[in-house]
Amino acid sequence: MIQHIDVHAVLQESVSGVYTDLVTRPTGRVVRERIERAMATAAGDVAVARIDFTRVRCIDYSCADEIVAKLLRSRPGVLVLMGISDGHREAIEPVLAGHRLAVLIERPDGTLEAVGAPDVAAALLEELVARRVAARSPGGTLTLT
Amino acid sequence: MTRLVEVPAQFDDRSFDQFAGAFAEAAKDGERLLFDAHATEWASPYGLVGLLAAGQAVRGPGGGSGGTGERPLLTAPTHAEVLTYWTRAGFFREAAELFEIHGKVPRVKAAEESDVLLPVTPVRAAEDVHAVVSNIQQRASAILASELGLDPKATMGFAMALSEACQNIVEHAGTGGWVAVQAYRWRRKLAKRVVGIAAADAGVGFRHSLEPTQSKRFGTRWGDAAALEAALIQGVSRFRDPGRGQGLAGIRRYLARWDGKIAIRSGTARIAIVPKWDDDVPLKDGLPAFPGAQVLIIIPEQGSTKP
Repeated sequence: MIQHIDVHAVLQESVSGVYTDLVTRPTGRVVRERIERAMATAAGDVAVARIDFTRVRCIDYSCADEIVAKLLRSRPGVLVLMGISDGHREAIEPVLAGHRLAVLIERPDGTLEAVGAPDVAAALLEELVARRVAARSPGGTLTLT
Repeated sequence: MTRLVEVPAQFDDRSFDQFAGAFAEAAKDGERLLFDAHATEWASPYGLVGLLAAGQAVRGPGGGSGGTGERPLLTAPTHAEVLTYWTRAGFFREAAELFEIHGKVPRVKAAEESDVLLPVTPVRAAEDVHAVVSNIQQRASAILASELGLDPKATMGFAMALSEACQNIVEHAGTGGWVAVQAYRWRRKLAKRVVGIAAADAGVGFRHSLEPTQSKRFGTRWGDAAALEAALIQGVSRFRDPGRGQGLAGIRRYLARWDGKIAIRSGTARIAIVPKWDDDVPLKDGLPAFPGAQVLIIIPEQGSTKP
């Protein structure tokens, strides 16, 4: 089962006002804790958590670290980010590389790529195929099973 | 008795040391201070937020208010255009709390468009950073793209850099500070349009903030310059969390991509990442002491940035 978490909705619940930017460590911490709670209380057997950034305008380095890097370190399951813009990537990639971490990103067409430290990213993709969480198409692209 | 602190005629990051020297000299005996800006002809955002930080320092512990709790005096610029610009830039709105202002301040609103992308804005808490980032993205995008020739995708990176600069105040200063963003013409070697972010506070400064975790590592070298080097070049943080120190590193990456500049002054030192188009020096030590930290980030007009 795939659990879907709308980060924008979590952000709206977490900070006052109508902000659509994931900025500052305190905000990142609150958002991550809410995501962790949602994951912990999810019904059923969740194999993959799909974290949706679609309506998030901007994420800064502090929030990339506080949310994405810390979720990856604390959660043993599979984490997939979706709705990731080039701007989001600009913050997330170097932060993960600095930690020697990697995360899966689901592109709009459903194919997967792994970003972060290159060797860790490559190993992550191989592991997903081995665990049959993802499958390789004849063209070589990966999608969630 | 009142001590005079002259505000330079051209008040920017380069003349700031002259201002800091006058401030340090005048503040040392605790008399009431008069900041004299009547002859000031131009001030960059760095000058404006730096002047506010001086006012903040005077009113803080050990400041030169003569022990009376009186606000320092400030004579406003006499040039009408300068006065109007300082008002539009939001300076007097913030200065009114810190200074007893002398001179006629025009009643114009802080800018909602034009070259002032973000008027002088107080930063005291995470909520303020949210407001700043939200505001800048609505206003800066067009100018970054049309005037500086930046890829529209660069707007988010600009907002990230601004966010991290503001968080530096919130998390390390131990007090509030101010940030301002403006498009203007860089008057020195480059002679091009730039967008400048200036952030300043009169808080504890980098050396004090990093001392508990870093001073032993540096030994006798420890001081303001070593603290700035540790923060900007080595990416260390006062927090032991391994994810900390991302902010300045992220700003550096963004600036490397867009050929930008960052300079940070704290205490008696100043460090800079100097692009080819500028003739600044990477590290200065032994400067006149000034409290807190003052950050300057410059993104130049794209295209040829050869000197």
